Amino acid sequence: MKRFLVACLLILTSIGVSAEEEVHLRMSWWGGNEVHRAYLTSLRKFEEKYPHIKVKAEYTGWVGHLERLTTQIAGGTAPDVMQVNWNWLVLFSRDGRGFQDLNTLGNLIDLSQFDADARATGTVHGKLNALPVTMTARVFYFNATTFAKAGLPVPTTWDELFAAGPIFRERLGEDYYPLALNFLDVLALCRTWLVQRTSAQLVNEDRRQLNATEADTAEMAAFYERLVKEHVIAPAPIRASYGNVAEQELRPWITGRYAGTFYWTSAVGKLAETLQPGQKLVLAPYPMRTGASDAGLFYKPGMMVAINSKTKHPKEAALLLDFIFNDAFAVEAFGLQRGLPVSKAAVAILEAKGLPRTIGWDGNTQVSTLPHRVGESGYFEHPRVRDGFIDILESLGFGRISTAEAGRRMHTDVNRILERVIRPGRVKPAEATYGD
Amino acid sequence: MNATLSATLRYAVLILVGFLMLYPLLWMVGGAFKPNHEIFSSIGFIPQEPTLEGFTKGWQTSTEYSFGRYLLNTFAIIVPKVAVTVVSSVLVAFGFARFNVPGKRVLFGLLIATILLPKSVLLVPQYLMFREMGWLDTFMPLYVPSAFATEGFFVFMIIQFMRSFPREMEEAAVMDGCNSFQVLWHVVVPVIMPAIVSVALFQFMWSMNDFLSPLIYLSSVEKYPVALALKLSIDVTEATSWNQILAMSTIALAPSLILFFAAQKYFVEGITVGAVKG
Repeated sequence: MKRFLVACLLILTSIGVSAEEEVHLRMSWWGGNEVHRAYLTSLRKFEEKYPHIKVKAEYTGWVGHLERLTTQIAGGTAPDVMQVNWNWLVLFSRDGRGFQDLNTLGNLIDLSQFDADARATGTVHGKLNALPVTMTARVFYFNATTFAKAGLPVPTTWDELFAAGPIFRERLGEDYYPLALNFLDVLALCRTWLVQRTSAQLVNEDRRQLNATEADTAEMAAFYERLVKEHVIAPAPIRASYGNVAEQELRPWITGRYAGTFYWTSAVGKLAETLQPGQKLVLAPYPMRTGASDAGLFYKPGMMVAINSKTKHPKEAALLLDFIFNDAFAVEAFGLQRGLPVSKAAVAILEAKGLPRTIGWDGNTQVSTLPHRVGESGYFEHPRVRDGFIDILESLGFGRISTAEAGRRMHTDVNRILERVIRPGRVKPAEATYGD
Repeated sequence: MNATLSATLRYAVLILVGFLMLYPLLWMVGGAFKPNHEIFSSIGFIPQEPTLEGFTKGWQTSTEYSFGRYLLNTFAIIVPKVAVTVVSSVLVAFGFARFNVPGKRVLFGLLIATILLPKSVLLVPQYLMFREMGWLDTFMPLYVPSAFATEGFFVFMIIQFMRSFPREMEEAAVMDGCNSFQVLWHVVVPVIMPAIVSVALFQFMWSMNDFLSPLIYLSSVEKYPVALALKLSIDVTEATSWNQILAMSTIALAPSLILFFAAQKYFVEGITVGAVKG
């Protein structure tokens, strides 16, 4: 009798196990050491929570990740869940069908944690293709140590920023500057300066050209010239003499001689990290032009997560996606590693845990208090549009063309590029007007 | 007296230039022992606050596997790859150099043309092909193609080498009753040994540095070779721990250096003979 009972029990348990068949998922991401650790521990925890799901991690560094993902998507072997960039949505999902529509998986993913603006950034043609990990914009950060040495508070207005240049030269020396900007940063700053006056996006997608007139682009070029002339940023040849290295690896940045940056809130941590011991990077009040009604921010998703449209296990993939975004364990594992999370649940968890605020977090708080209705077209980040602008700014920076010519060419050349890259009838990239 | 002076002068110049050339390498080794913030703020290669942190943390890596795993993976790819490259290249080169096949000129032209073909053009078609064969996420796509003498440069190099020595030796072997394979094995191979060593060394070093093909074909982290593992911790949103990367690069460089010094005699002879007498 006993034996019979044991046998029955065995049969029953074996049925129970086979009812929930084991599912194998693949997930891909790029990142550095900390991101890998956070993902790996989160995935182990996820497997504990859902014992029937096994997740295989496929990760790389940043270099080559897009090439690899492109090949995989072309070959139909892409992972089930993947980390993507906002501007990749235009590459892989022009009609919104490149990734799973997360709206259809709404019962498994807690979409209410994402406000309408955040969801809009991942929506292509009405289909929610991806959810943002973080939102980010460029704001001002200054090296408080260097400013203290110059006897100045960190600038709070454009005028104070320009006034700091000559004072730096006078009190600290010729090789001290209030800002360390490469040409990509310069372009972003010129755009902000202009948008604060015009309150219009720089790129007009519908007209396939710039909203800016020739007088506007001339203003951008003149702004760059003023930055250099008034000793706010180092002239291009001098900056180039330190080598073409990442911003956090530029020697005068590490030593504090270039004492500020206009940088993404999600990634500013790396800039603070490489400063020589004893230096302190602080968030500065955001400068506004007189009469400006918009801060001219380029506010965009920092990173997104999407589900493969051809996955065999959309339900399990959705569970994983939800876990990464909203589960307390995963949220704590990531902390502020990838910037301040968008998910409201995640922010609540981090706040409850009393995580020390970072300058990136403060930056996001600052952004939320600034007027930022204007936004920007995703095509401003298109590699060819960006390179078009930067080529001209570089020619200007190295003295090959005059300011007037730079202003003129930014209008004619970039308009020509825009007309080519924004093909008529082509689906627009995910875009939204970012409200409160 | 004069001779000593000229020798001193020559060696002084050689040592100076040699030092300049080796400086980046020395800097890498020095950088491996530096703390992270010191790497970009000083140009000297002697660390001021030497630390082994780069080695210990770098060896552990941020992944589930230690760096030793990636080294082993690299060898699991390179050893078969070098072996099949050498065998196939020698066979094909022997064919081109010694036999008259119809259409030989056209075939040889095609072979040379493949040297000029950019590798990236083949990536997607090859990826699709290997997917159909079910070879994705295995080491096979990384070395099996080499078994078909796909490295035109190596074939070309060996052909040039074979042209430089007289056919009479082979004819003598044929008179003694050797068939083609015996001629190749007993007569040709011993003579072209320097070229074979060069091919092996080149393939070894190139495969060691190859980044794109493992990136595309291998998706499991447990199968990554060193070239991928070194880039694993470089991201755009995070400051990179360069001392770990430099430390692991130093370790990864060791096999190439050891092999090079062990085979140096053959290697140098191999490239110069092929180049001058061809």
